Amino acid sequence: MHIPDNYLSLSTCAVMGAAMAPVWAASAKKIKSEITKEEMPRLGIGAAFSFLVMMINVPLPGGTSGHAVGGALLAVLIGPYAACISITATLLIQALFFGDGGILSFGANAFNMAFILPFTGYFFYKFIKDRAKTEKGGYFAAIAGSYIGINAAALRAATEFGVQPLLFRSARGRPLYCPYPLSVSIPAMVIPHLLLLGAVEAFFTAAAYSYVKKVSPGMIYAGGKQKIKAVYGLLAALILLSPLGLLAAGTAWGEWDGAEIKSMLGYIPEGIGKGISLKAMMPDYSVPGLSGAAGYILSAAAGASILVIIFKLLGLIVKKNAVKADD
Amino acid sequence: MTDVMPDWLKAEENYTPQSDKDAFIDKSIMSLIKIIGGARTANTGERGVNTELKTACTFILLVLISASGSTAFILAAGAYLLCVLSLMRAQEILSILRGSFTASLFTLILLLPALNVSFMTAIKVFLSVTAAGILARSAKWHSVTVALHRFFIPDMFIFILDTALRYIFILSEYASGLFYALRLRSVGRNKGKYSSLSGVAGTVFLKSGEMADEMRSAMECRGFTGEYRVYGKLRFGAADVIYAAANLTLILSFIYLERV
Repeated sequence: MHIPDNYLSLSTCAVMGAAMAPVWAASAKKIKSEITKEEMPRLGIGAAFSFLVMMINVPLPGGTSGHAVGGALLAVLIGPYAACISITATLLIQALFFGDGGILSFGANAFNMAFILPFTGYFFYKFIKDRAKTEKGGYFAAIAGSYIGINAAALRAATEFGVQPLLFRSARGRPLYCPYPLSVSIPAMVIPHLLLLGAVEAFFTAAAYSYVKKVSPGMIYAGGKQKIKAVYGLLAALILLSPLGLLAAGTAWGEWDGAEIKSMLGYIPEGIGKGISLKAMMPDYSVPGLSGAAGYILSAAAGASILVIIFKLLGLIVKKNAVKADD
Repeated sequence: MTDVMPDWLKAEENYTPQSDKDAFIDKSIMSLIKIIGGARTANTGERGVNTELKTACTFILLVLISASGSTAFILAAGAYLLCVLSLMRAQEILSILRGSFTASLFTLILLLPALNVSFMTAIKVFLSVTAAGILARSAKWHSVTVALHRFFIPDMFIFILDTALRYIFILSEYASGLFYALRLRSVGRNKGKYSSLSGVAGTVFLKSGEMADEMRSAMECRGFTGEYRVYGKLRFGAADVIYAAANLTLILSFIYLERV
């Protein structure tokens, strides 16, 4: 679901970035007023979790691949506003260091995965949970919320892809950016999510929700005990599992490089062929000179650590603000 | 009764001291307090992995980082250090990263004409300073001394290092006391304040000589012959095994990647 650079027109990227700005502002404000410095590392762990889950790609019929996001789970565990900021940080690290998702299309990716997914997911989670107050109800709400959330995000991404050929064409009538119209992009992205990836997201959500509930219930209910070590253990396990993502050989829908798109269409759309291309430090989670699996583990460890460190350091700022508020 | 009190005592006092600038005293006091504070926080460490192992691995890592010519190894070392860093406290992370960013920025500026080399060197400097920072903030000084002794570093060297570290702390406290005294006594405009600075430095120097003599006598009285002895056995827990395994992997990957 990571839209690469040059698949969306510059104007689309600008609109999506502008649409995301008030969401970021509102989330940052909410976090400043509601999250204490002790809770800040949780956002980092959440971001690291989402980063690792996104690395585990699942092969899809038709030769493409996809991944879960963990957005609804984060919204359930740390609240939708905090989830929005966590996933935004994750997407930024992915774009800057690993070339997963574009720099220009960062706003669009954030809109789909950091806004639509956690907020839709959380809305349905809350809606169901308020009506079914049993323990099973909580699980069902988390599963349903995550399934609906990721499908909403996929639909949103498909729409962004699909409007490109309608709006932007060269003088010869060829599409400039993403070549597929809505009639292709929506089924291509939504059907796999409805059938398979939604279930994968729901599985990750249910598994992590029950693990956290068992070992560190303080992360779900106020006052419960919190075992941060166990949660770090979960992250370490996910880092070691990340090479599973290599089993999915296909490229995700809408994330092809120039050569792939040429073999499919017979030409490279102008915007994609001549657009910007930034070289990431570890492109596609690989390290030159290392095997794919080793590169994946290194990338996973580095990315997750960076996110935990960023949010720990942000915790220092929150602490300073709290002191100012006391004065 | 009224005759007993002299007139000057009955007169109302009207003395407003002239304003004076003492920014340099404040600055000196602040920098000394920083050293003392730094020494105090640096001593809160000692968690998890045993210090001998940590010291040895850090030294090996520093050598490997500077010797390495492969980008993959540098990235691997970076990922490893980030993992270790992410487990530390926020305040520690901040002070370590502040040091490493400053050092690597400085390197980058110095080596700017050779852009290709400078970027890699700056990253290497960043990693080395981070590795050293992690060791300094997660190990107590006295256990680093123990570790150095186990690695057959000459006792004379350990003695100098140990004493120097301790006395930086004690003498800074002494010097900051002198600065406070200078500020308290400078009522109104004190023109001779700058010349007192050399007095502060001189007193601290004399005091350090005196303290050194006192310490030598005290240690001789307690039977210290200039030879360090380590009590207690090496302990080795689960954390140590994980730490050693991670470092061994790094060393092996260095050998593998440099051969390719």
